[in-house]
Amino acid sequence: MIKNKKVLFIIILAVIALTLGACSGRRIVASGWSGINVNEETVYFSYGPHAYALDLKNGAQKWQFPAEAINGVDFYAAPVLADENNQLLVAGYNGVLYSVNPVNGSENWSFIAAENRYIAPPLTTEEGIFAPNSDNSLYAVDFDGLLQWQFETENPLWASPIISENCDCIYQVSMDHYLYAINPQNGKLVWKSEDLGGPIVSNPSLSDDGLIILATFNNEVIALDEKSHQVEWRFQTSDWAWATPVIDGDQVYASDISGTFYALDLHSGELLWQIQPGGGIYSSPLVQDGMIYFATDTSSLVVISQEGVVQRNQPVDGKLYASPVGAGDKILLAPSEAEYFLVALNESGVQIWGYPPPK
Amino acid sequence: MWDAFITLMITVLLFIYNLIGQNFGWAIIIFTVLVRLVTYPLTAKQMKSTKAMQDLQSSKEWNDMQKKYKNDKEALAQKQMEIYKEKGISPFGSCLPLLVQFPVIIGLYQAIIRTLAVTPIQLVNLSKHINDGANLIPINSKFWWMELSEPERLPILGVAVPVLAILVLITSYIQTKMVTPTPSGGAADNAQGAQMTQAMTLYMPFFMGYLAMTFASGLALYFIATNVATIAQYVITGQANFKNILPKLPNFSQLGK
Repeated sequence: MIKNKKVLFIIILAVIALTLGACSGRRIVASGWSGINVNEETVYFSYGPHAYALDLKNGAQKWQFPAEAINGVDFYAAPVLADENNQLLVAGYNGVLYSVNPVNGSENWSFIAAENRYIAPPLTTEEGIFAPNSDNSLYAVDFDGLLQWQFETENPLWASPIISENCDCIYQVSMDHYLYAINPQNGKLVWKSEDLGGPIVSNPSLSDDGLIILATFNNEVIALDEKSHQVEWRFQTSDWAWATPVIDGDQVYASDISGTFYALDLHSGELLWQIQPGGGIYSSPLVQDGMIYFATDTSSLVVISQEGVVQRNQPVDGKLYASPVGAGDKILLAPSEAEYFLVALNESGVQIWGYPPPK
Repeated sequence: MWDAFITLMITVLLFIYNLIGQNFGWAIIIFTVLVRLVTYPLTAKQMKSTKAMQDLQSSKEWNDMQKKYKNDKEALAQKQMEIYKEKGISPFGSCLPLLVQFPVIIGLYQAIIRTLAVTPIQLVNLSKHINDGANLIPINSKFWWMELSEPERLPILGVAVPVLAILVLITSYIQTKMVTPTPSGGAADNAQGAQMTQAMTLYMPFFMGYLAMTFASGLALYFIATNVATIAQYVITGQANFKNILPKLPNFSQLGK
């Protein structure tokens, strides 16, 4: 009798532990989605405990970093080439920015000053590395991994900064609702936008004539003039606008997490057309060869013409939160919770290769 | 159905969070106390059933019956059922309200963890539960020295001390001891029951402390709030068993005899 009670007690404890563990932030399988970067020969991407380098031709693995998974270290931000392609920057959820050798994945240095996760990849310029962190700070680091300056905002930074030649500054958006223009030399604030009404988690786009287009959780796509620093137009979406708006000629492609995809006029913000093919949209579209590709969280890659006519709505194994990436004649997809970490499709949507998770 | 329940909980949690000046630690504490108040009728029923069962099991009639039928389990079970019926006690009376509360507790925990979204996937999941309230994001998860989305440690003299886990352990111990009857001894079954109870009171606080040390500190805060609320309920209703809290010391007057 007492033995049975002990067994029952242990079972109850195990059930409680599993129930709590299954839904804890510390225990979920993946807490971000893959970031991809590609050059002529190699695909670099991060997912879970490693960053990977694959052969673009056939998906064969060249190396992974770190060689062995480290407990508590995850990577989701896209690896970024820097220093004339001599370094590959891999930003981790452990708050460490690593520089690795792009050829063999060996570590050059690590920058450990940040206190929280790197959600977005760093921006690299000739002047250095600009790494946004969830500890609310943007870190400027030189190519030897030494801190140059630190710029603090009020809330976490989940978006990469972008560079503007017109302003000779970098633009950083924050979840604190503001866009900051920062001097890349010294980290001083050049100007700051008005309160844009909601958190901003994706990097803005910059048009040739100086319009900064960004998406907010206040259900808006907003255009700011980088000369006057004023809002030029606002467009109301039906839900949170998460993904970076993409500028294509005189059009802006934006989306929201309810799954509506919008084409707007770049200069007026007027709606040109919209479609809702199903599923939430969390990433920016790829515009390639006159077609627009975007991913939805209901496992489909949607291909539309620049007039908004759906050409293909292709089911894909797994959830598609990450942006499709173009690589020559290939489209790269990084599905979450799927058989493959990375899939290369041809323009007709036929899979050329898939990179399986390591056993 | 479950998602709708979690959505309701998250909505209330965020409402409280916003109402009290965007302090998530206090929001967890207030929300936990509110949930305890709402589920109080169930708790009271459970407490009443437990007390009735404890009184019955420490009665002479019950112990005599245990002794009389100790070699005949079937007859013992039949007699027990007869006494339950006679006294109007349901043997599951203390379990059922607890079972009903279990989804509420799990729901509360999930609501807390989902609201503390600190990664993109967590924020995607949270976005499915809130219609308005985007402006409350990101949730301010700092509370005193704690980062509520992470396991808690307080550096004291260079040592990272899991203060919340220790508080969870202590309050769990007090709560378990307070609601546990003093073992009456006697029949073999009672002795077994007492052994089981002692094991529970020993293991459970450590288990809860382990969870508090390992998981997000928002959970540990919830454990402490719920333990303190339970202790308060027992104290207010006069059903707390203070005698059990301190470990039994040896009877010095009998040493040397």
